[in-house]
Amino acid sequence: MTGYVIKRMLSIVLTMAVMSILIFWITQVMPGNVAYMILGDFASPEDVATLEKKLGLNDPTYVQYWRWASGMLQGDLGRSLVMDRPIAPVLWDAVSKSAILAGISIGLVALFGIVVGVYAGVRHGSRADHVVSVATYVNIAIPEFLFAIVIIMLFAGYLNWFPATGYSDLSNGVGTWARHLILPVFTLATGLMAHVSRLTRSSMIDTMQTQYVRAARARGLPERLVIRRHALPNALLPTITVLAIDVGIMMGGIVVVETIFSYPGLGRLLMFAIQNMDVPLLQACMIVITFVYAAANLMADLLYALLNPRVRYGRSSSE
Amino acid sequence: MAVAAASNSQARRRPLPASLKVGAALLFSIVVLAALGPSLSPYDLDAMQLDVRLVAPNAQHWLGTDEFGRDVLSRVLNGAQSSLLMGFGATAVSLLFGVPLGLVAGYYRGWADETIMRAVDVMISLPPIILGLLILSVTSPSLWKTVLAVGFVYIPIITRLTRSITLEVTGEEYIQAARARVESGWYILFSEILPNAWAPIIVEAALRVTFAMLLAAALSFLGLGVQPPASDWGLMIAEARPFINQAPWIVCSAGAALCITVIAINLFGDGLREALDPRLSRRR
Amino acid sequence: MTDLALSVEGLSVSFEGDGGRVRVLHDVSMKVERGRVLGVVGESGSGKSTAALAVLGLLDKGAAIDAGKVLVGGRDLYAATDEERRQLRGGKVSLVFQDPFTTLNPAIRVGKQIAEPLMMHRSMDEAQAEAETLRLLAEVGIADPARMAASYPHQLSGGMKQRALIASALGCDPDLLILDEPTTALDVTIEAQILDLLEDLRRTRQLSILFISHNLGVVSRICDDICVLYAGRVVEQGPTDVVLSQPRHPYTKGLLASLPSLSVERQRLQPIPGRLPDTRAQLKGCIFAPRCHFAQPRCSSEIQELHTAQNGTRNRCWRSAELADTPWRAEVGEEVARRAPPSSDAPIIVDAVDVEREFRSGGVFDALTLRWNGWRPEMAYRPRVVNAVDHVSLTIREGEIVGLVGESGSGKTTLGRCMIDLVSPTGGEVRIEGQTLLSASRSRKRTLLRNAQIIFQNPDSSLNPRKTVREIVGRPLAQIGLGGAERDKRVDELLELVRLGSRYAERYPHQMSGGEKQRVGIARALATKPKFIVCDEAVSALDVSVQASILNLLVDLRDEFGLAYLFITHDLSVVSYIADRICVMKNGKLVEQGRTEDILEAPQHPYTAALLAAVPRVNQHRRAAGA
Repeated sequence: MTGYVIKRMLSIVLTMAVMSILIFWITQVMPGNVAYMILGDFASPEDVATLEKKLGLNDPTYVQYWRWASGMLQGDLGRSLVMDRPIAPVLWDAVSKSAILAGISIGLVALFGIVVGVYAGVRHGSRADHVVSVATYVNIAIPEFLFAIVIIMLFAGYLNWFPATGYSDLSNGVGTWARHLILPVFTLATGLMAHVSRLTRSSMIDTMQTQYVRAARARGLPERLVIRRHALPNALLPTITVLAIDVGIMMGGIVVVETIFSYPGLGRLLMFAIQNMDVPLLQACMIVITFVYAAANLMADLLYALLNPRVRYGRSSSE
Repeated sequence: MAVAAASNSQARRRPLPASLKVGAALLFSIVVLAALGPSLSPYDLDAMQLDVRLVAPNAQHWLGTDEFGRDVLSRVLNGAQSSLLMGFGATAVSLLFGVPLGLVAGYYRGWADETIMRAVDVMISLPPIILGLLILSVTSPSLWKTVLAVGFVYIPIITRLTRSITLEVTGEEYIQAARARVESGWYILFSEILPNAWAPIIVEAALRVTFAMLLAAALSFLGLGVQPPASDWGLMIAEARPFINQAPWIVCSAGAALCITVIAINLFGDGLREALDPRLSRRR
Repeated sequence: MTDLALSVEGLSVSFEGDGGRVRVLHDVSMKVERGRVLGVVGESGSGKSTAALAVLGLLDKGAAIDAGKVLVGGRDLYAATDEERRQLRGGKVSLVFQDPFTTLNPAIRVGKQIAEPLMMHRSMDEAQAEAETLRLLAEVGIADPARMAASYPHQLSGGMKQRALIASALGCDPDLLILDEPTTALDVTIEAQILDLLEDLRRTRQLSILFISHNLGVVSRICDDICVLYAGRVVEQGPTDVVLSQPRHPYTKGLLASLPSLSVERQRLQPIPGRLPDTRAQLKGCIFAPRCHFAQPRCSSEIQELHTAQNGTRNRCWRSAELADTPWRAEVGEEVARRAPPSSDAPIIVDAVDVEREFRSGGVFDALTLRWNGWRPEMAYRPRVVNAVDHVSLTIREGEIVGLVGESGSGKTTLGRCMIDLVSPTGGEVRIEGQTLLSASRSRKRTLLRNAQIIFQNPDSSLNPRKTVREIVGRPLAQIGLGGAERDKRVDELLELVRLGSRYAERYPHQMSGGEKQRVGIARALATKPKFIVCDEAVSALDVSVQASILNLLVDLRDEFGLAYLFITHDLSVVSYIADRICVMKNGKLVEQGRTEDILEAPQHPYTAALLAAVPRVNQHRRAAGA
């Protein structure tokens, strides 16, 4: 088990290293001259040259990468070109706001997705199962941005129950804070719930048809014990992996949702960086997203190993 | 042996699944509408009529008009082309690269497999939308670049799928038989393995089309895909968003068109899965 | 109370299938008397496993009982409520499934799974159940019950799992124990141990057992009574000894005549022609008539009910009395004399010299291991290396059939694949007709390997499902440049050679039966006129009646063309029937080789002796009392 953990850590370090090179290299070819961006379009060529020298923009790419990467490792995320201030405080603030949004959503997704999936899987072929199937089917066909706009139209526009956009700090009262979160959380969670419940359902159906579940029935166990003790622990293992994948999908989702709801999180910061061609900010956002996703996958793998006796205890040959 | 031959008409013809028929019919009509779009549309795409801005659906404009007074129906009809193109084009791109990579990784194993799969691991270490944004943020946006970027994003998934099917097929004894004849790798990959692998790949590809379409729409919505004044459903929704309360019909029309297309392709894909591989029909 | 543990009366079961309902059991009646063992035998498609599940009321969704009754200890199972039936299961009736590898829940400790029925039916508390579990494990011969109970299934071998499952089934002292092919997934020495255990248990516990198996040897060893199923019908039943020594139904006769016996004498096997009828078809007469060469017009028009023969057994054949002493004869013509084994100066075809093959399992990362040296972690790179073939030398001469036997994991398959370069040896070399394959170029290998081909185990996997028989058999011919009409003619010849005929040429694999597919596989191997063929468990996946015809074909081809075979199998009876020489493999090493007669009569290596002793034989005298 210790060996397994170290191997997974190593592979994540490797992925991060490769990804950072890729991100740096791709964003280097972004259109627009950094010096002109800082100095304005009418800067004199001499000033531009001086600044480029000062920023090291004429150094070979690998030197620039090294400077950037070692800065990152030491927690120096660089300076935003457009906002003209250090990135770190801005970024951490955005990350914490996104974490609230995504955290609540993923919690809801896990809870409801699993419950609905298990229910439909156990009652495979029943009317309830069909209702769930049709609902998830339609749900998957509606893109997040459309869903967001429609619920804004309904709940903010016509019904006026919740604010359409924006963020309210906790200091303004829990009620206001929650009212601002409800619509974005609802949008994020709904899309992924379909995903989780569909996969949980199919995993549950497969498990219910295994030989060991049949053997449990042959021992005379009542159906609810068969499900709870024999089917569930095995059927829910793959769901852990699915949830990790969903963390990744959700990282994409926050870009769309935060843009629409004007929610000041990581996704909106990323869009801001892209729209303003703020290369250092873009690089920092990308690295953070890669890291969070990698960490989620690591956690899922470890949790999977912890809950799966095959990995936990390895194979011993006790003949 | 005579007995054996007699009872041997096992060409079992099962009826085609309903989802396949409905999906195919819907998809066919959408493709026809997309192809005939320009000639069917009642108004010129970009004809701005400033006197009829944001008009609700009526006899002249069945789906109303937008903020420039352009006919929504015409734009929705024309948007079909760009959505279908992005969905199918991007999927074609990912198949073109993903299938050969997966075949090679799954059949040859060893360092080829190791290299390809590590590259795939890196590619999926960014979520699809983010990877799409990263690629598109560094170039000036256009339809074709969106197609390529979205296609690129889904290469790892096709590679992984093809590889796992290839692994399964390679374990079959007829592949061993081919190797015992010292057949070339080329022959084994494309003449023995691929014919047995294409069914699940095609089924996956059909479902991939909808993911690609939705991703492309999201990218266009974020302003990094198709650019104005082109008619694209994602872009239309983005453009109409500020007027959502005055003119909900624009978002609703474009959104409904997108959803119906996605559902049609999903139905078609699920039906195809059921028809080609009944064992898998329950999954997903 | 009745003295019947189980009574099945006129049971008919059907399934919802692709084109309508398929009836899998027709009017099946059988009885298990208290303290006796009833064996239900049949080939695939006979409905024997369905019968087992029906007795427990565990049929899948879509299955329906059309008629009949199942009485367990006098209680009508299907008249009972769901709750009563559940109480019966695991309490009064227990079931041990075929595959111990999938029957235990991977997420639950073995002890907990055994304790489940104890707590459920004997209302023990956790501590009592645990103590009882340990006692049961000791009873089924587990040396360290506590350790076993604390293990997860993946940490146990197949034999251990099956013992645990038997312990679990015995827990509530069942009135009836159902064993569904309990040893089929196990190696022959483990099988013998489990059978010994079952014999002991039935004696000490006076168990009533319903024993389901396809293996007549196993059944004859352990069962008092036997019930032969064919296509969902009981064709013959009675005391095991009587039925197997004086079979009255032609199917039973055929089954016995198809069975190679573990002995030196080599009578040609007499297979049953044809294949199982389409179960959807409505047959008016005897279900076996199409494959029976004693069939008369009456057989295909009138159904014979079970009736009692003079020897006291019951069967379903109109002509059983008049044919009582007529043996099964499948193939017209008299006994074909078998060719003598080749002389020791026949030319050498294949020559393996000191062949070695190791496998590394896992990737680069899996090979990294972490050790704590005090507080200092140490990483080490230790790839797991398995020596599948460990310095083996083997010479095969023209026309010689060499049997290679061993249990799973012995390396026999890897050795076979090394012989034709499907797996490259990591040491030593293989020579075909004196020419080494080592570092041969691709085209040179291709030429050399035309003389060395392979036939595989699984007929469902050995043919590409997307190709017609003509394409499959024609491909090796195309490779050597044969084209057009000439190739087609040769394909027809090859199909004739394997007794299929050219009308099979345009079929796809899914349109053929297992035996037919195996014949196509043989035709493909023969296409380039090889001198040596590796038969890798080539008949293991087939039913006995089909296996016999394939074995006959292989022998005929050897006699006709002087082919040499390396016949790899786990089945000693088959190898004793076909091989001139037997090689025994264990843990990658060749532990013994010699002439078949010598090996059978005087094995030198203890492992060989153990293997031979473990093979269950038909009509072997039972050790257990009360037969």
